[in-house]
Amino acid sequence: MEAEKGREAIRLMLANVVRDASRAGRLMGMEGLLESLKSRGATDVEGPDFPGIDALMDETLASYPEIEALESISGQTLYYVPALLSRTYASILDRKSSPVILMAEEVRRNSADYPRPLPLEIFEESPFDLKPDQIADSLKTMAETPEFQDITFVTTSVGGVYLFSSRFLDRHYAAFLAERADVGLALNP
Amino acid sequence: MSKVNGGFAGKILRVDLSTGAIRCEDTVEKYGELLGGTGIGYQVLWDEVPPGTGALEPGNKIVFATGVLAGTGVPCNGRTAITTLFPTCWPRPLVGSGHMGGRFAAQLKYAGYDGIIIEGRADRPVWISIRDARVEIRDARHLWGSGIRRATLEISREMGNDSVVAAIGQAGENLVPMSVVMNSVSHSAGGIGAVMGSKNLKAIGVQGSGGVRIAGDKAEWERLIKFHLSILGGNNQHVVPSSPHPQSEYYNPGSRWVGMPGKRWGAADPPLEINGGLYDLNRIAFRSNSGAFFLGDGAWKYTVRGNGCTACPIRCHTILKVPAVSAKYGIREVAQNTCAGMVFGRSFFKNLPGGPQGETAIEACMVGMHLADDLGVWCNYGQLQRDLLKLYYEGTLKTKIGAEEYASISWDKYESGDPAFLLDILPRVAMRKGELGHALGLGTGGLLARWSIPEETWGKDRATNYWKFGHPKHHANEDDGQCGAIISTQYNRDPQCHSHTNFVRNGLPLAVQKKLAAEIWGSPDAVDAPGNYTPMNIHKAMRAKWSLVRKELHDSLGLCNWMGPWVASPLKERGYSGDDSLESKFFSLATGRQTSREELDLIGEKIFVLHRALTIRDMGDKEMRARHDLIPEWVYNDPAGTPVFTKGTIRMDREDMVRAMEMFYGVMGWDTGSGAPTAQAYARLGLRDVSRELESRNLVPEKK
Repeated sequence: MEAEKGREAIRLMLANVVRDASRAGRLMGMEGLLESLKSRGATDVEGPDFPGIDALMDETLASYPEIEALESISGQTLYYVPALLSRTYASILDRKSSPVILMAEEVRRNSADYPRPLPLEIFEESPFDLKPDQIADSLKTMAETPEFQDITFVTTSVGGVYLFSSRFLDRHYAAFLAERADVGLALNP
Repeated sequence: MSKVNGGFAGKILRVDLSTGAIRCEDTVEKYGELLGGTGIGYQVLWDEVPPGTGALEPGNKIVFATGVLAGTGVPCNGRTAITTLFPTCWPRPLVGSGHMGGRFAAQLKYAGYDGIIIEGRADRPVWISIRDARVEIRDARHLWGSGIRRATLEISREMGNDSVVAAIGQAGENLVPMSVVMNSVSHSAGGIGAVMGSKNLKAIGVQGSGGVRIAGDKAEWERLIKFHLSILGGNNQHVVPSSPHPQSEYYNPGSRWVGMPGKRWGAADPPLEINGGLYDLNRIAFRSNSGAFFLGDGAWKYTVRGNGCTACPIRCHTILKVPAVSAKYGIREVAQNTCAGMVFGRSFFKNLPGGPQGETAIEACMVGMHLADDLGVWCNYGQLQRDLLKLYYEGTLKTKIGAEEYASISWDKYESGDPAFLLDILPRVAMRKGELGHALGLGTGGLLARWSIPEETWGKDRATNYWKFGHPKHHANEDDGQCGAIISTQYNRDPQCHSHTNFVRNGLPLAVQKKLAAEIWGSPDAVDAPGNYTPMNIHKAMRAKWSLVRKELHDSLGLCNWMGPWVASPLKERGYSGDDSLESKFFSLATGRQTSREELDLIGEKIFVLHRALTIRDMGDKEMRARHDLIPEWVYNDPAGTPVFTKGTIRMDREDMVRAMEMFYGVMGWDTGSGAPTAQAYARLGLRDVSRELESRNLVPEKK
């Protein structure tokens, strides 16, 4: 009974750690969760009876359905609360370690869903925060890598560069949407 | 209308400038069935302004009217509709309305009036002073010749800080059709200035000490306002932010919700960094920055704050402070406006050093706002600037004005994108100086006629955005396929309708928009992705009708159709739905008269059909389909030859548009052959008297 109570307390603690991190715009991995438990005074995390953070997080997910797990591009599992940190934002945070994947997947999602091409300059802004040389390197890598051959671009009449995925948008339509976004909307208040 | 206990101020003020007579009429008794705003305006013109009256003749009337929700705590309520025979409507003046925000509507209500009917012509320049029940026609000779700012300052000094002044500038005084009336520094209504000028009316100053009574349960009223706030987005009801944010699933770089934590009002004193949560109701005012949206991120450093209408948290009029323009152009370093008013100056130039969002572009906007908002020059949704561009760059201008006048204009500044060009050209328009100033001030229709340029020259050229009757499109096929095109056919000026475009531009993914469309208009096919238009269907016709009806409702309730309707929201937990019944819920609570969404929409439809009837009567023609609901040739062409119904074109199909108009007439219950309402359609809306009058003139289609 006492053991179950203790376990429930740890699950609550884990849920709160994930919630706090989501509120602050961060994803939580196992390592960070373990550290947080320790810093919050969970004393038995290194003892022989500790079931392991993986098992505890499985239980926490079952007890707190608002928490979701995300399979990171690095292979580890990351946790967050979509109500506090959107799925879109979570995936951007996760992909920031790989600018190529970050750019390609964001371009694909935008091409497929809205649909629209994305202005290249958006990747310099928060939360992407890529440096111009990172963007240039990523574009070069994409151009040379077979799995990113769908990522291409159009240039508008005022020189704006817009990326799109040819899986979801044909070039003519992408050019139309880019011109509309870059010129049309501002001239059509 | 049955007895109502709130919402209305209760009186309409009637001022006869010819006789000096001032009297009041009971709003509800006489106009209650038409709510307010354009509803009252159309009724006054129908009853009192005979066909054939000239826009600038004393027989024309001006109706300033707001609605039951103006001056209350309802978000986005500060609108005044000004209805008159429009001087820019060509080849004959027909009914039109200009709409201004600011503080005028609320002050008018607080003074005890739902509207003002101005008639006749004063024998000398005057202004009207309204202090609650004390209304006077005052001498304005000392103000005549001054700009809007000076006139506003003088009258405000006399009336007090809490007054609001709607004034015309030199353009209106000089009877330039392309002129505005403006209140609260930057809130203008186009097309009205010259009509006021023709009546020798410089301004109206209003100061009210009363309030607006809310008939319904106060707690329910407060709850509904809180709910309304919760479903607001940024300007134009764009419901997603412009870049990714932790709290939002979606974003859209085209969204006007550009203000987010981390952005900074750099010219505020002290500078202010936006913080807090994305959806905080107390931070809605930080979401919109028209400067940053139209002029790029570079405008953040010049941003002082947002400004706007009474009770509106959107604050779409951004105040910019650009110190450099003071020394460079000799103008004030602070200006404010939104949309077409903000980019007024920039829109003149084909090329600007640094591009459309560079420093020179920002300076051009500052110079444009400084001049246009003081001289009271109207741009007719950018048509003034597009006309000049076409006339100059195609060489027409050189052949139409004398060599001496041509040489006197700094065309080198025009070509090089020097904002100083505006210091010359805009006063020419306002003062009717020279042939160019005179012609540009007439508006497109008058200009084309004066210079013997066939209208189709403009109608064929997509770059002009020209639609018909001297006016441009307003969110037509380029934004919303057949639905937008239908809407651009219906008025005698550009339609000023945003119901449809606020939805298609709301920033949500297409699948979510289609889900909402299915809920509201019965099918996901009611909406297409931009530039990927599908053939016409009945649900698009229903959406066009809904858009127009809601526009008239907003214009008659004192609500802002630049923000409403609120059928989409930022709220994930609501599946991004807004509330299609919001207007009727507020109306019911304000007036105490329980009115369903359907019932209120029927009143909106009645107002819209009254506009149609007035147009038919004054045109003396019921063949609206052939002679009024016109579509310019450019709509049917694509510069690259892209076929219709393929991705990447706004080109419409001629036969499909015929079908579109027929479907629209069908859902309106009008005669599909002529496009005119039938006797049954009038009767259904309680407009039998209107129908009888039109029947006596043979202007109602016969029963088939």
